Amino acid sequence: MTTRAKLSGIQRQALALYRGFLRTARLKSPEERHRIESVVSAEFRENARNVDRRNFVYIEYLVRRGKRQLEQLKNPDITGLSTLEINKVSSIP
Amino acid sequence: MAAAALLRRSQTAARALLSPAPLSSRLVASKPHSSSPAPPPPSASTKTFSIYRWDPDSPSTKPHLKDYKVDLSDCGPMVLDALLKIKNEQDPSLTFRRSCREGICGSCAMNIDGDNGLACLTKISSESKGASTISPLPHMFVVKDLVVDMTNFYNQYKSVEPWLKRKDPPSPEGKEIPQTKADRAKLDGMYECILCACCSTSCPSYWWNPEEYLGPAALLHANRWIQDSRDQYTKERLDSINDEFKLYRCHTIKNCTHACPKGLNPAKQIDTIKKLQLGA
Repeated sequence: MTTRAKLSGIQRQALALYRGFLRTARLKSPEERHRIESVVSAEFRENARNVDRRNFVYIEYLVRRGKRQLEQLKNPDITGLSTLEINKVSSIP
Repeated sequence: MAAAALLRRSQTAARALLSPAPLSSRLVASKPHSSSPAPPPPSASTKTFSIYRWDPDSPSTKPHLKDYKVDLSDCGPMVLDALLKIKNEQDPSLTFRRSCREGICGSCAMNIDGDNGLACLTKISSESKGASTISPLPHMFVVKDLVVDMTNFYNQYKSVEPWLKRKDPPSPEGKEIPQTKADRAKLDGMYECILCACCSTSCPSYWWNPEEYLGPAALLHANRWIQDSRDQYTKERLDSINDEFKLYRCHTIKNCTHACPKGLNPAKQIDTIKKLQLGA
């Protein structure tokens, strides 16, 4: 194993959130588990690529939003997770 | 183009005045019917609002204050009227919570010129010099513009168990639990709380310990159930908040009473709880 640089607190929070999502996905039905895993991993990978690692305000906002979504997903009555693509049209001059 | 139209109109108006014209034509408003709307008359009552803006969808922009000018002669008296006017006419992306517009729902709680309050109950201050600063409730995580994350606040309210708890079995006929008028009067000043969070977010002690300290709103509600004569779990309620952090982070700063838009006194209720803790 190559020695990795020590992870900062905020990096650990993001990874813990990702782990939380994957663990919660395990408790749902198999096809739903696969869908949750693909949606969550796609969003995390996209944000990891696009978001500037120094933009703490935005990263904390995303972590908070993810935590809230995870709390909702943990509820046993919730069966799954789906996403919607909105094409943002900027109308403000 | 508009100027020429105005000139022609004045000639016809002069001719109309000379001949006895019917009353209705003289009362017709003489607005120029040009395609471009007439610019608003520069009235003396224009107020500038500096509003806190942050958009999570454009993460690279930092939070900033944006200025908006509002003609007060065409606007309602309250800050919420100004916000809606700005949203309708100038910037539809301005985001804020609002519902009842009469100060009973608590949705529009925000910081106006340094003081927490409800936008629908706060009058626009009439001195035109100097902008009015509108920002979200202090020391709360911002979701967008003036909308804050209230989940911690609501969880603290839930932790107080704000419902009637009795040890006696319920009456079989479903009859109400009797309470004297004097006992019901004890709840006045606490039941009116609308959970707007103005008090809790004005408390510096709550700013420094938002997770552990319950805050004036939750403690006011805790006292509302402690004081309720029908509730039989008084001792358990007192014991559950008899904590170094949950209750005793209150240092009687009294910002809560100053901020409350409904005129309640959370500091007094917290004082009552502390006195009861000494006795219990």
